[in-house]
Amino acid sequence: MSNTPVTSRIEALGAYLPATRQTTRELSARTPGLGDVDIERITGVAERRVHDPQPGAGEDSFAMALAAARDCLAVSRHEAGDLDVVVSASITRFTDGGRFTFEPSFAGQLARALGARSAIHFDVSNACAGMMTGVHLLDRMIRAGIVRTGMVVSGEQATEVAETAARELTDSYDPQFASLSVGDSAAAVVLDRSTDPADRIHYIELMTCAEYAHLCMGMPSDRSQGIALYTDNKKMHDRERLKLWPRFHGDLLAKNGRDFAAEAFDYVIQHQVGTRFIDYANRTAEAEFGTAMPASLAVVERFGNTATTSHFLTLREHLKAGTARRGAKFLLVPAASGVVTGALSATVTNVGV
Amino acid sequence: MGIVITAAGTAAPTACGAPASTVDLAARAARDCLARAQLSPSAVGILVNVGVYRESNTFEPALAALVQKRIGINLDYIADPEPAAGFSFDLMNGACGVLNAVQAGQALLETGSTERLLITAADVHPGGDARRDPHYPYADLAGALLLERSPDPDAGFGPVRHYSGNGPSDTHGYLDTATMGREGRTTVTVRRSPGHAARRAELAATAVADYAARYGLDLERTCVIGPQAGADVVTGAPVPGAGPDRAAAAGTDAGAAAGTDAGAAAAADAGEPHTAAPVLGYLRALAAPQPRRHDQLLFVTAGAGPTAACVSYRPEAW
Repeated sequence: MSNTPVTSRIEALGAYLPATRQTTRELSARTPGLGDVDIERITGVAERRVHDPQPGAGEDSFAMALAAARDCLAVSRHEAGDLDVVVSASITRFTDGGRFTFEPSFAGQLARALGARSAIHFDVSNACAGMMTGVHLLDRMIRAGIVRTGMVVSGEQATEVAETAARELTDSYDPQFASLSVGDSAAAVVLDRSTDPADRIHYIELMTCAEYAHLCMGMPSDRSQGIALYTDNKKMHDRERLKLWPRFHGDLLAKNGRDFAAEAFDYVIQHQVGTRFIDYANRTAEAEFGTAMPASLAVVERFGNTATTSHFLTLREHLKAGTARRGAKFLLVPAASGVVTGALSATVTNVGV
Repeated sequence: MGIVITAAGTAAPTACGAPASTVDLAARAARDCLARAQLSPSAVGILVNVGVYRESNTFEPALAALVQKRIGINLDYIADPEPAAGFSFDLMNGACGVLNAVQAGQALLETGSTERLLITAADVHPGGDARRDPHYPYADLAGALLLERSPDPDAGFGPVRHYSGNGPSDTHGYLDTATMGREGRTTVTVRRSPGHAARRAELAATAVADYAARYGLDLERTCVIGPQAGADVVTGAPVPGAGPDRAAAAGTDAGAAAGTDAGAAAAADAGEPHTAAPVLGYLRALAAPQPRRHDQLLFVTAGAGPTAACVSYRPEAW
């Protein structure tokens, strides 16, 4: 028996993106409260994918999550029956017909549909850090020897909140303004045991600074029929909030006698809120760490803020397109309502995409 | 080294008539836990909320973050004079949520991710009063468990095991966004098919029998905490000479938590305990004099999916 600590790796990545594109110009034209405010300039989002709302179209949260899970298994070495655990992380848990589901769990239904009937299953809800939270738990379950292989999956019918914002927005200071930058998608990731440093999650650490838990709240609207997201953007993305990750991450490294520069990350993937947010987060971190940030990967221009899926969708898209190098070391940084932040460090080489 | 329950607490709405809130109830149950364990909020590293139904049908942020804020667990890593990181998230699997959280807690505690993990299980009707919706079966209620590692290798939880039932889910809880109009913050639908209770009991019984066989549990020496009917099926109640105290301990029915804060409300016909049921059952089991023949507990939960879960537990003092 080896005494080497068990670690996990990112084994495969999958996604589903609706075919329908909606440009920011089209969305602006449908948002009378916006006036002449140029949201494409403010957010950097040129277009996003939107689900087909027709019954049976297969683009509700659940169906998209299932499609991403199947896409992921198609490029994985594992079959559905190998999955010891399935974690679902959707914020928007819509099934066909517009039911926002509380029970049974999405994860249990997804496991059944995939043919992973005996898999442990549960839903995680942690705002845009949901998939990251699922990966954190799965990593710990693998390290503890409770499971060997598992999947974290999420499908987001996020543009439901954009529809409500388009109807209800009064001006660009409206708390629903941030809802205009979201996009629909699904993503899935399979984790299993790492046997090679070239494919390993080196660490994943998350933190909730709950002092700011009220800065972004999602619930049904009381003004029209739809779900809504109310965000205090100014406070949420204040410089002091953005310092939380580098301080936390820097302290974690310092405890082990390391520093950020020596981590030698090749790429950083910030939460895909908008191009300005990503730049600001990277510049704040550079000032805090006192060193340059690695190349910053993004898909926000094409897909908008896809909520829980953003980091894994970005990683998958860039690996698939060859715009991120295999064998590289990636840093994924969540920024979610709660406020949740942290760091995932992984070397990714032989991943299925 | 086992993972043990250091303290457990419950909370039910107060008589003042304010709308019930999961944040409020979960925070009260959690504070009850921390007071029993004589710990400050900052001693908790991770908070997991497993409640399903919540005020205003809030879907963001995690209710756990709002509970963390209410309790005052490590609120701001930069502003706090002694920076400590707290982490919180919601974990949902209907009636089985607490057992899923115990399993996640085992992984988090065994890998040293935290020293203490707090589980809150709080459900309220989104409109603020479960008693005013005759179609909603659950009580406004919260339970909390504080988990830690124990130096006693014989104490604590065994492996958590999950079971899938056959057929479609008997229980569906959802907000119908196609028909909710502007009432989405105060309405929720829980549909349960006829015969659901019997099928749930059968699934629980199958789970208990499998778990006992798989891990060599002597059910005669085990106090089962789970769906009342499920436990009855398992014990074949009434079993001469083996029934009353075990059946009582097994109860997660409305009166099961008599003597506790939550029990007072449950007794007022406020509905069934939902995700907090295992916490109520646990407190009930510990409050009863320990029968000589019992040397461990067995939690069993079953619900929407259909899905069930089991885990054995040996308290430190037993």
